[in-house]
Amino acid sequence: MTRIVDDQPHPDDEIIRARQRERARIMGWLLGAFIVLLFLITLAKIGTGR
Amino acid sequence: MQMTNPAALPADWRDLLALTKPRVMSLVVFTGLCGLLAAPVMPPPVIGFTAILCIALGAGAAGALNQWYESDLDSMMRRTANRPLPAGRIDRQTALHFGVGLAAFSVILMELAVNWLAALLLAGSILFYVFVYTVWLKRRTAQNIVIGGAAGAFPPLIGWVSATGTIDFLPLLLFAIIFLWTPPHFWSLSLFVRSDYAAAKVPMLPLVAGVAATRRQILLYSLVMVAAAIAPWPLGLTGWIYGASAAALGAGFVAMAFAVARNGATDPSKMGPERRLFAFSILYLFSLFAAVVADRWLVQ
Repeated sequence: MTRIVDDQPHPDDEIIRARQRERARIMGWLLGAFIVLLFLITLAKIGTGR
Repeated sequence: MQMTNPAALPADWRDLLALTKPRVMSLVVFTGLCGLLAAPVMPPPVIGFTAILCIALGAGAAGALNQWYESDLDSMMRRTANRPLPAGRIDRQTALHFGVGLAAFSVILMELAVNWLAALLLAGSILFYVFVYTVWLKRRTAQNIVIGGAAGAFPPLIGWVSATGTIDFLPLLLFAIIFLWTPPHFWSLSLFVRSDYAAAKVPMLPLVAGVAATRRQILLYSLVMVAAAIAPWPLGLTGWIYGASAAALGAGFVAMAFAVARNGATDPSKMGPERRLFAFSILYLFSLFAAVVADRWLVQ
């Protein structure tokens, strides 16, 4: 059985990579914000003695 | 040239955001914030912020799961055909995972950061919207938005409980106001877009009971809703700022509902009163809840 390997760059590849980059950047910001939020919640909880 | 299938690409973040119905979320966030700010005690600001964030995320999750389940209906209606799922920009599995993940995250964060009762109410509102309204009622009965409207009425109650940890009479009245506001709001919309609902075979009241009966129901619900909205003032739960605002806004709402009831047009292009009532109903709810907060902070 012959397997055909397509080495040509696909027009979708750049779109896929761009979307992945954009989503990764947004996810990074969201996770950073979440960590800051958890830190502030912890401070508030300690402050109210709960 | 090879055509790209949009659903085969990773979802664009803008489409994920659109799944959360941001415009609906803005009303949910506002009423939730007003419920929190109307409470007699204030949580630390970061806890209050987290509570509102969880309400927003929970509403977004419910919206995403609603769109996941209703993508077949959305594709049949002009108003919704360009949403990410019917337009093929997101695949169904991504939408489902996004909705379930967001729902779980919002409820868990609410329990950990705020309190268990607020988390329970948030979970209840998401489950109610998805299973009772979307799955059970919407395609089966003309009472879909009457009962399903309860899901949208939870936010002020959740906001209040986030601050106090208890359920009191005023937030229950705020719940009742949104519950009674939902039918005239959606029925006025469904009158002038009823061809959309007919195409999707959604049994909205104008299609099941007729245009005239819907207009009568809009007027009846408006009268009861306005009475419920004024009630906190004579009951001593709010001061004069809220009372005067509720009375003035209510008079406007009832006047517009009467205009709808008197309108005999069946052609959507002649449904000016219905369009005006729909637009005013949004302004009404924003203004009424702003008055609750203004009253709490300026009078009490």
